[in-house]
Order: sequence, then structure tokens, then C-alpha cells
Amino acid sequence: MSEKPLRIALTKGRLEKDTVELLEKIGFDCTAVREKGRRLILPIPQANLEVVLAKAADVITYVEHGVCDMGVVGKDTIMEMKGKFYELADLGFGKCKFALAGKKGHDFYSGYDVKVIATKYPNVARSFFEAKGMDVEIVKIEGSVELAPLLELSDAIVDIVETGSTLRENGLEVYEDIAPVSARLIVNMVSMKIRKQEIENLIGLIEANL
Amino acid sequence: MKRYDLITPEGTKDILFEDCLIRRQVEDNMRMIFSGMGYSEVVTPGIEFYDVFNLNSRHFPQEILYKLTDSKGRLIVLRPDSTMPIARIAATRLREADLPLRLFYSQSVYLANRSMTGKSDEIVQMGIELIGSNSKKADLEVLSTAVEVLSFCDSEKFRLEIGDIGFFRELVSQLDVDLITAENIRTLIEVKNYPALNDLLDSIGDNSATRALKQLPRLFGGEEVFEKASKLFCDEKIEKILSNLKSVYNDLSKLGCNGKITVDLGIVNRTDYYTGIVMKGYLQGYGEEVLSGGRYDKLLSEFGYDVPATGFAVNIDAVADFKKKKEDCKCKIPDAIVFAEKGFEMEALMRCREMKKNGLVVENSVFHSLEETQRYAQKKGISKVIVVYGSSGGNGNV
Repeated sequence: MSEKPLRIALTKGRLEKDTVELLEKIGFDCTAVREKGRRLILPIPQANLEVVLAKAADVITYVEHGVCDMGVVGKDTIMEMKGKFYELADLGFGKCKFALAGKKGHDFYSGYDVKVIATKYPNVARSFFEAKGMDVEIVKIEGSVELAPLLELSDAIVDIVETGSTLRENGLEVYEDIAPVSARLIVNMVSMKIRKQEIENLIGLIEANL
Repeated sequence: MKRYDLITPEGTKDILFEDCLIRRQVEDNMRMIFSGMGYSEVVTPGIEFYDVFNLNSRHFPQEILYKLTDSKGRLIVLRPDSTMPIARIAATRLREADLPLRLFYSQSVYLANRSMTGKSDEIVQMGIELIGSNSKKADLEVLSTAVEVLSFCDSEKFRLEIGDIGFFRELVSQLDVDLITAENIRTLIEVKNYPALNDLLDSIGDNSATRALKQLPRLFGGEEVFEKASKLFCDEKIEKILSNLKSVYNDLSKLGCNGKITVDLGIVNRTDYYTGIVMKGYLQGYGEEVLSGGRYDKLLSEFGYDVPATGFAVNIDAVADFKKKKEDCKCKIPDAIVFAEKGFEMEALMRCREMKKNGLVVENSVFHSLEETQRYAQKKGISKVIVVYGSSGGNGNV
């Protein structure tokens, strides 16, 4: 119906690499994306696609506002940001999990004091403890969250755990898993309706090549 | 102390000149569409008691409401929606009025959004409510008015999507699940999260209801949806909802907007509030729905007046934004500016009034000298400067 290219926002970094590999597996020529230089909007003319590279949280913002039709972003960012869009497919890559972790051998739930939780994901942490009916104090940390319990700023952390090696090397361990995380394909609610055929075709190709 | 006297609160904005003009044009057109169908305008207070918006069938979460207290300490909110106040009016002041009531409104609603997302907390909405009929005729009237509104916005690039909340309700009632699980299922259908929906429904079991629910979010598109759906549903009640929706869809196709009216059986927003046919309107290039509504037969009974109703609301800010990108709308440059010589100030104003009567746009110069007036006129692009120096007046051009 529309000759305008479908615009897909990719989370810069690993998810971008995995998605490009997936698109190449489908058979799209992604040379422009591979040789991007400093450009941020890159065409895949053969598929009538336009790739936009952005930070994870921005992928959601662009898709929510409809300036990008689709996006590839981690479930971690989706859980933290929320927002209104369709979450159509689990792409299976970028797998890791949200977990509650802290100093090895320490009983997190012991005692009556209000626990301090350090995290890059305050909303995820808040809703996890809200579901338990537990009051906690949340401290937002931007960099290596593992430092917080080591420096005794917090009792535990809520963070993404992939292999667990960073935790182990710093004498920390996972107390509890919160939720699994992987890359998701999200679609703007209006684009899904107005460009249904094109989007469904692309999703079909993606699912067949996962 | 930090002062906030030069900025507006987050989520609000000043609207100037062309933006106002286009907004008024949109409003005037909507008003014509609505009043031409016999709808009468009502205005409800900007602030209402919180209780009006905290009903069983529909409540607004605390965190998205702007709240204050009145002099007696009672909780007041800035109106987050217009349908509920209108239901209140219908159930009170219009209780004895003959049915059906055809009401429309044009007013702001206030919702506290997540900050820094670029969304407005103050949105102008216009909409209609058709109260007192549960007939298919009423549904068709409201739906075709929605089509009229959307085709005014853009006769080519709109979509009106219809659905029926009944599918979800019936299917979930066939499952033996608690309210929280039902809400989880609803959310996953709403965001079309196919993988998570499948996992959740698999954990509940494999039966005709879970199989149908898995397909619900996929059932959207054109006429083919009905065929796909009829294969899935083998329940009498659901078949009835489906055949009703199909006949509404077929009737609407007579409006001749080929392919612009679509179906989504996976519309499951506000499932406690809506009771039948629901609709959403989209404009290509605008990231969110610009129109939404549906049948809400239970709402008025919560105000003690048990009558059915249906309606929709249009986001006027969204439509104005959309129109602004599409059309070139410029404020009119005045046709002339009138400069009064000393002692002829009133004559100049009378002259302005006279010219205004003839349909011209005229400015009255407040400068001291003719030179200043001419410089100003040149800058603003006003082609004619009129100098008034006697009761008859005289002309001069830049």
C-alpha cells in the first residue's frame, strides 16, 4: 500500500549485530548497515527497510511515538520503561535474566530492617518487591551495580545476570531469579494496523529464520 | 528559592497563532458534523469529585489523576475523561428527558503521563454520546459518524477499526481462572505478545477457549478475519457476537471507504467498561489512536440510571497536529493599517470598524509617527497604510 520504507530501530551493540545477522540469514543485503560509519539511518533497499540505530530506551520511545514502525530491544528495557506498543516476537537472542543478588552466604530476607536495593532498573526492582508486599529502599546506580553491596551501600542488587561470572568474581551470588530476558520485536500500534501485510511478511521471514 | 514563573508545567504548552487557527478549524468542523446529526453540546466542570471517576466498571489509577481537595477536605480531580461526567448529567439532570439523548462535548481532559515522554497531560477531546438505545441502528450511527470524523481528518489515510469486547469476555468466562490471571491474559492480548500469551494459556490447559484466546490477537485485518474466526469459535454465544459484528461491518462497507474499515477481535482495552462493539481510529503517520470509543451499557447504572449508551472521543490535539503537517495554514496578514493624525484617533477607529464590516482585516496603528507605522507595516507585510486626518479620512501607501 505504501512505498515508504518500513523503519526499524535496532538497539546499538550486540542486539544490533544479532539482528543484522538474522536479516542476512533471511537474505537481505545489509552492507549499508555493516559499513555504517557514523550514519544513524541506514537503508536496506531490497527489503524496503530503513534501519535506525539507537540506545535501548530510545528504541522504545521512537516506536511508541510511531517515528519508527518496529524495533528490536531487550525485555529488560521493556520491563523498565513499559509503554504502549505490540510485543510481537521473542527473537531468542540476547538471552539473560533479571536476578536479585548480593554477598555470598548472606541471608537476604533475615532481620526486620528495610532493605536497601541498588539497581539500574528502579521500576523493575520496585514492582518485584511490591508483588512481595515488601518495602525496600531503592538506590539508582548508573555504572557497575555490583559495587554497591561490596561497598555496603546496599543489601542486594537487582540487575541483569548473563553468565554470573562478574558476580562470582566479586564474591556475590544470585539470591533469586526475577524474570528471563531476551530480545523482542516490538511494533507501533498504528503501523501494525496500517501496514499489516508488510509487517506480517517480515515477521514471517524473521520467525522462519530464528 | 527557585521560581517557576517563566515556564509551563511539564506536559502542557502554550498554543499560538497558526496552531490555534488550525485547532479552531478542526473543532468547527467536528461541531458541524455532530450538531448536524442532532447532537447538543454540554460543558461539564473542569474539576469533579474523585468518586465520579472511581466506579466499579471504570476507575482511573490514582497516579495518573491530578488531585486537589475542596474547602471541606473532599477529594477533587481535574477531569480525566468526559464520558463519566456526561453519564452523571444524564442520570441526574436529564433523567426525565426523552430518550435517546444525543450529547456532544469539546473540552480538555487531564492525565498525568510519565514525564519526559513527549506526551501532553492536557488534551482537548471532542466526542459524542448516544444514550438510551442498545439497537444496532445506534451502533451504526456512532460508527458512521466516526468514519465521517476520520475522513475529515484525511479521506485517504485513515483506518477505523472495529471489534467487540464480548469475544474476550465470553472466552475468559469459560476458563477457570482468577481475576489476576484473567487480567494477565488480557494484557498479553492487548499488546499482542504472542509468545508469552501462548505460554500462559498452555499452563492453563488445552481446550477450545484457550485455543481461541491464543488466536484472538491475530484476528485482525479485513473481511477475511470473519472467516478465520468462524472456524475457531464453536460456541453459540460467540457465534452470535461474531455474526452481529460481521453484519455491522458489512453495513459500514456501504459508506464506500474501501479497505479503510478494518476489524480487530483482539481489542481488549477497558474490558470492564465496554460491553459490546468497540472502535479505534488511526491516521497514518500519527503514532497513537486518534479516536476511540464503543458501547458501554453498564456505566449509567452506576449512577443509578440503567440505560444503554455508546459513543466515542476524538483527540483534537492529535488531529490538529496531523492537519498542520499536511496543510499549510497561515494566519491572515492584515489588509491595511490605519494611522491617525493627532486629534483624529476616534475617527481612525471608526474607519477600522467600517472596513472590518466589509470583511477586511485592519490594524489600528498605535505608533506616534507615520514613519514608524510605515516601517512596521513593511516588516509585517501589510500592503496598505491609511492616514486619517479629517472626518472623511485620506489614504497613503507604503
